[in-house]
Amino acid sequence: MVKVKDKIEEELQAIFTNDAPWITIVWDDPVNLMTYVTYVLMELFGYNKEKAHELMMKVHTEGKAVVSTGSREEMEHDVARLHEYGLWATLQRGDQAI
Amino acid sequence: MKENEHGFFRHGDNAYLANFSEAEREVLTNLVEQIIELLAERVDHHNDDPLAAMVGITMHDTPPDDEVLLRLLPNAYADQVDASEFRRYTESTLRQKKQAHAMAMRMHLMSAVDGIVEVDHDGANAWLGAMNDVRLALGVRLKVEQNSHEDLELLAPDDPMRGVYAVYSWLGWLQESLISALMDDSE
Repeated sequence: MVKVKDKIEEELQAIFTNDAPWITIVWDDPVNLMTYVTYVLMELFGYNKEKAHELMMKVHTEGKAVVSTGSREEMEHDVARLHEYGLWATLQRGDQAI
Repeated sequence: MKENEHGFFRHGDNAYLANFSEAEREVLTNLVEQIIELLAERVDHHNDDPLAAMVGITMHDTPPDDEVLLRLLPNAYADQVDASEFRRYTESTLRQKKQAHAMAMRMHLMSAVDGIVEVDHDGANAWLGAMNDVRLALGVRLKVEQNSHEDLELLAPDDPMRGVYAVYSWLGWLQESLISALMDDSE
């Protein structure tokens, strides 16, 4: 029940601070090629090669990177597209610990 | 497996070519067909509501039991309640999109003339997605999480996983060749 209570509080907080952004995180994966991750970030988000490469390196060295920020709906859309191309991605509230 | 020495290369404005041997095309076709089959809707749950099915809502919201499927259709949220809700509304569409990539790849392989596969930018993206799904599936079987590339290189000649690893590596190389042909465009 604690979980439900936490969720309600979380939702209430979201309503009152609805400008709090959501984030999409890409997690490191031993299968996906580094060039592939870079290419997918360029294709899906329109990032240039430098930015996409930088994010890929962050995933590779730190285990994860925030690749986009926006509303919950936008982040759900981004995660769905990343899953379509086999990247391991999740979304969450931006003010939550990753 | 080394007959195709160049992998994909760019040809003109929006075409990427690769020359495959018959054996290579057979291996690739066989692999994508397995992915297409794997991604077919789960039969363990009946979808009683045809309208829900039509708009892509499925009655199941639990993650797949199979390790390979779970990697292809991962949770979108760390929170289980949110993950289930998201899965209920999106898993069916994700399966269809991945199947579409694999089907496009199979179609290109089947319509190859003299072993030459030709794809445009969208076709190339479908190939990349499908090849990646095959590699993710093989990667789960090879336990690449635990085994390093060095471990896998040292598999005994009679180990059945040795052949799986050879295909996995070859696909990575093929994927890499297509990415570098595509990246040349975006310079």
